[in-house]
Amino acid sequence: MSFRTIDELEEALRAADYLPDRGLATALFLSLALEKPLLLEGEAGVGKTEAAKTLATALGARLIRLQCYEGLDVSHAVYEWNYPRQLLHIRAAQEGTVSEEELFGPEFLIRRPLLEAIDSDEPVVLLIDEIDRADEEFEAFLLEILSDFQITIPEVGTIRARRRPAVVLTSNRTRELHDALKRRTLFHWIGHPSIEREVEIVKLRVPGIPERLATEAAAFVRGLRGLDLAKPPGVAETIDWAHALSALGREEIDAEVVEQTLGSVLKYREDIEAVRDETLVSLIEEARASADRS
Amino acid sequence: MTESSERPRLRSGRSPGVGPGGAASADSPLAYGPGTAIVRHVVTFGRVLREVGIEVGPGRVADAVRGLDAVDLTRQDDVYFTLRQTLVSRHDELELFDRAFVAWFLRGPVAPLVRQKQERRYADRIVRDTLESGADGDEGENSSTPRELGASAHELLRAKDFAEMTPEEFARVRRLMAVIARTRPRRTSRRRSPDPRGDRLDLRRLLRKSLRSGGEPLEQPWKARKSVHRKLVVLCDVSGSMDAYARALLFYLHAIVGSGGGVEAFAFGTRLTRLTPDLATRDPEAALARATEIAVDWGSGTRIGASLGEFNSVYGRRALSRGAVVVIVSDGWERDDPDLVAREMAKLARAAYAVVWVNPLKGNPEYQPLAGGMRAALPFVDRFLPGHNLRSLEELGAVLAGIERRHAA
Repeated sequence: MSFRTIDELEEALRAADYLPDRGLATALFLSLALEKPLLLEGEAGVGKTEAAKTLATALGARLIRLQCYEGLDVSHAVYEWNYPRQLLHIRAAQEGTVSEEELFGPEFLIRRPLLEAIDSDEPVVLLIDEIDRADEEFEAFLLEILSDFQITIPEVGTIRARRRPAVVLTSNRTRELHDALKRRTLFHWIGHPSIEREVEIVKLRVPGIPERLATEAAAFVRGLRGLDLAKPPGVAETIDWAHALSALGREEIDAEVVEQTLGSVLKYREDIEAVRDETLVSLIEEARASADRS
Repeated sequence: MTESSERPRLRSGRSPGVGPGGAASADSPLAYGPGTAIVRHVVTFGRVLREVGIEVGPGRVADAVRGLDAVDLTRQDDVYFTLRQTLVSRHDELELFDRAFVAWFLRGPVAPLVRQKQERRYADRIVRDTLESGADGDEGENSSTPRELGASAHELLRAKDFAEMTPEEFARVRRLMAVIARTRPRRTSRRRSPDPRGDRLDLRRLLRKSLRSGGEPLEQPWKARKSVHRKLVVLCDVSGSMDAYARALLFYLHAIVGSGGGVEAFAFGTRLTRLTPDLATRDPEAALARATEIAVDWGSGTRIGASLGEFNSVYGRRALSRGAVVVIVSDGWERDDPDLVAREMAKLARAAYAVVWVNPLKGNPEYQPLAGGMRAALPFVDRFLPGHNLRSLEELGAVLAGIERRHAA
């Protein structure tokens, strides 16, 4: 599956239930066209990971995901030797000596996501999720792979990508990434969607939700983002919340139902406390007024 | 894997299709000769971006040209995103980029783009002046390392308040700081490395060694978790009353930044500004001059609460402070509401591993933390230190090295 224009890619993403804005569609398109990894940054919950998953669906490619965490190293990201099997093999050989070649053959190699993505014959979308969580040593290592698309295993040799995987990296910016890594990637910042798009997303993800409820939910969450919260809700939270409201059989929001369900939108106690009483009432009024207008 | 011949170079941007490992080519960065109007346009725009302070290398310009080749040039938003995604790599550069784009491609009226640049130039001039005037004294002192000073002179210097030092004494103290800066809070990394006293067998090495002995693991290599620097975040008050101390602390910080990664530094007065990149690349005097310029509104008091709030909402949200030792350097004089200081300190303390407050006024034995801002902050502070002279900075170093989390999650 390949795409000649941004419109075609956008269409395919929509068909896979993802509504990208033009900027994201352009970014994904360019990443494929220029064969450069794409770095997606943005607040939590704006759909960074989802974008990569949907790209894989749209391309008919296999998604290989590497979730980063502190201390992530080669043996978990690239490959590891299967030591128990190797030991057993040595024992089983009895007095016959085991050659190094034999012991470090493919049947003893455990392939982790990066090797899997480089050494694949089918089309692959490689998602390197939350790269900012990995430490800098790993980032430097990743840099090598992303510049040459090859991996060297001392016992085996160099494995070169026969077809380059499409690569999407995501970051929540808990730290700045190294400039060298940024030089090798296209960069796209995903902001919160416009109200119209968010309503569209909610309707797509919560089938059967009343139009008015979708608009009010989106407008209310948008209002929350304008407050000074510890963790402003993302699109994922809007969807969760719309699900809850819809399941309760609501046509509209009111103070009572919002108070009952606010926990699916705000995840911190202090945030929930900050949105009490008058703030809550005025946010609801604004959301309802917004639904009246549309 | 490159099939460039397959790909007609149409200006309208109809390429034969892209996909992973697909037909798009990665070679031949400039599709058409570098004389074409579009290449000139992009190259010049790259120069405009550099003017406003966005770093644009030649590789990025080539990407932009290749990108434009692949999209529909008649759609303004596609052109905009293509240029933005290829030429910009940082979120905080987006606003500058937007203004440059409007000015350059849309020829719209925009606010002057050169503001930041002028600020920098001004700061640079200050540095130059400072450096030139101080150059002679510095050279003359190269021979007198701290150790050659008489013990008593050394002791006196260590106890002397930063605010009362002569420039020469200050220069001497600067060198001593590099020594104390080596002690930093540490924590255990999740990464393991070879260590004979380790707690886990290093299976990979075990196996290689066993091969030589016919599969018998005669030697047992171990590995252990390394101890690494804990993140350190320093927020330094650079308002007028803190001047001498802020300078001393910034030299100290500069030495710490030189000691390894994981240090973030901020300056605040009426506003907050991030110092880290400056401290890594330039002289601390220059960094201080620039920070003071941005962060301090002369004649208006210090806004500790608002500055902490800015830190919490911009950097705290990005988890910069999570698990970090946060050091605040300030005399605690708050212009606004002390309650705001308390609220923001509470947020900060929740995310941080430990909070240290350094207040030079505490160097005076008579001092009592009665100022509203200071009193409001104290309940959230794990350690409260003076930091008015070298000896107290040594104490700070020792505290940082051994600090433990005291407050609840």
